[in-house]
Amino acid sequence: MIRVLLVDDHIALRAGLTAVLDAEPGIVPLDAATSEDDLWPALRRTRPDVVLLDYHLPGRDGVALCRQVKRTLPPPKVLLYSAYADASLAIPALLAGADGVVHKGAPAGELYEALRLVAKGRRVLPPLSRELLSGAGARLDPEDLPVLGMVLDETPRGEVARTLRLEPASLDARIDRMLDRLRVEVPSGADV
Amino acid sequence: MVMPSVERAAAGRHRRGATLLEPPTAPTRWGWLSLLAMTRLLGAVVAVVLLAVHQVSRHDPALIVLTLGWTALSLAIFARSEEWQRRPWAWALDAAAAIALVWLSEDWRSPFYVFALTTLVLPATSLPFRPALLWACAFTAAYLAVAIETELDAGTLRSSIRVETVATHLMVPIVVALALAYAAELLKRLHAERERSERLAIQTERQRIAWELHDSAKQRVHAAHLVLSAAVTRAGDGVRGGIEHALTELGAAAADMDTSVAELRAPLDSRPVDDLLRRRARELEAAAGATIDVSGSLPPLSPLVAVHTYRIASEALTNAVRHSGARRIGVTLSDGPGGGAIVVADDGVGMPLQPRPGSHGLRTMRSRAESIGGRLEIGTGDGGGGTVVALSLPPECGRGAEP
Repeated sequence: MIRVLLVDDHIALRAGLTAVLDAEPGIVPLDAATSEDDLWPALRRTRPDVVLLDYHLPGRDGVALCRQVKRTLPPPKVLLYSAYADASLAIPALLAGADGVVHKGAPAGELYEALRLVAKGRRVLPPLSRELLSGAGARLDPEDLPVLGMVLDETPRGEVARTLRLEPASLDARIDRMLDRLRVEVPSGADV
Repeated sequence: MVMPSVERAAAGRHRRGATLLEPPTAPTRWGWLSLLAMTRLLGAVVAVVLLAVHQVSRHDPALIVLTLGWTALSLAIFARSEEWQRRPWAWALDAAAAIALVWLSEDWRSPFYVFALTTLVLPATSLPFRPALLWACAFTAAYLAVAIETELDAGTLRSSIRVETVATHLMVPIVVALALAYAAELLKRLHAERERSERLAIQTERQRIAWELHDSAKQRVHAAHLVLSAAVTRAGDGVRGGIEHALTELGAAAADMDTSVAELRAPLDSRPVDDLLRRRARELEAAAGATIDVSGSLPPLSPLVAVHTYRIASEALTNAVRHSGARRIGVTLSDGPGGGAIVVADDGVGMPLQPRPGSHGLRTMRSRAESIGGRLEIGTGDGGGGTVVALSLPPECGRGAEP
C-alpha cells in the first residue's frame, strides 16, 4: 500500500489525481494540499510514503519545496509532477533530493508505475542527455561538478560530504547555490 | 495597469498582422510633405499676385511662368519619391532655385521671400537639431549675399526701418528652421516612446496569456487526460475506441498549448521556417560537434502550420543530436505538388526498441503533426542504420489556404 500526499495548486488536477489514484488498487491518496501553507500540516498529519509535488506552485517552486520536504524526518519519497515537456527539470530535481520526475501529460498507467518504483526506492527520470548535462555543467562552478556527479550517481548525501571533506551544512549551502543557478524559468504572471 | 488600453493596443497591432514587429517608420513624413506643399503653394500665390499687381522687375511674366513651373515640378518630385525628400542635394537644389528667383526679382524684399522660406521645411524636419540650425544659417548667408548683390547698400543701412527689415528677413529663416526642427524632434521622440510602450504592452499581454494558458487551461487538459487514461483500461470494448480518440485529441490540445506558450514567450515573428531551421542547425552543430546539412526549401506556410512544423523539425534534430550519437545529420526540405516535406536523417544508433521511459518528445511530435493534418513517419535509414524522421505537410496548408 502506497500512501500518497498530493500538492497541486489547480483544482482540476487535484480532483483528477485524487480520483485516479483512488481507483488504483495499492495506492491511497491521503490528502491534497493546495499550497506550501497546507503542505506542512498535511505532511505532519498524514506521514505519507510519497509526496506527488507540482513543480509550478505559487510562492516557492516544487524544487525548493522538495528540498525542505526531504529534511523532514523520516523523509518521504518525492515525485515531482511537471507540465514542462523537457527534461531540464530533472537535474535540479535530483539535486533537491527528488526521487523522480513525471510529466503531467503521462497517462495514468505511467503515473502508477512511477509511484510504485519511487516507493520501492528506485528513481524515475526522463533520460538525461549529454547536451543537458553539459548545459547544466556550464552554468555551475567547476568545483560544483563533483557534487553534481555524485548526486546523479545516487551517492547518499552523507557520503558526498565525507568524500569532499565538507560539513553537511556547507554541502547544503553549496547545493542551494547550485539550485539557484540551475533554476528553470517558467512563464510568470507575477508582472501583470 | 489599465487593461482596456492594453487590449486595444494589442488588438490594434493584431489587425496589422504581419507588421507586428517591423521597425518603426516615421509616420510624419507625409505630414511634413503636406506642410511643404501648402506653404509652397501659398508662397507661389503670394509671389504671382505681387508680380501681377506691382511691377517688380523687367521680366515679370517670365518670373510668373518660372514660379508656377518650379512649384509644380519640385512638389511633384518630392511627392513622388520619399528618398528625394531625404537627399541634401535635392534640398540644396530647391533652395538654390528659390534664391535664384529672389535674385531675378532684383530686390531682397522680394515677392519670393515666403517661397524661399518653404525650402527650409524638409531639411529642418529631416536633420537633427544642430545640422538643421547650420542649414538655416547657410540659407541666411545665401540670402544676405543676394541682398548685397541686389539693393542692400550704404543708403539702406542708414535708415533704421530698413535695417530692421533686413534683420527680420535674415532672422526669420533661422527661427522657422529651429521651430520646425524642434517640432520634428519632439514628434520623433513621441513616436519612439509610443512604439516602445506599445511593444511593452504587447509583451506583458503575451506573458499574461502564456501564463494563463499554461497555468490554467493546460492543467485542466492534463487532468482530463489523466482521468480518461485511467478509465481506458477499465472501459469495455464498445467505448475504448472513443476514449482513445479523446486521449489523442487531449494530447494534441496540450501540444497546441505548449506551442502557443513557446510562441508567446519566444515568437517566431513570421520568419520563414527554412531560416529558423538553418539557424537551429548551426546552434546544435556548435553545441554537439555533429555535422548538420540543411538543403532545399519549404513552400510558404500559414503561421500555425509554420510554428508546428518548426517545432517538430527542431525536436527531430535535437533528438538526433542528443540520443543517436550521429556524426552526420541531413535535413532535406522540399516543396512538391502534394505539399511540403521535411526529412531529418542521421547516421546514429537508430531508434531504441522500447521508448525511453518518461520520454514525451515523440508523443508531442505526433500530436503536433496531427494537429496540422500532417503525416509523421519514423523509420530506419537506408542500409539499416540511423534514424529517418519524415514529416509530410498536407497540400492545403500553404499560406494561400488562409485568407
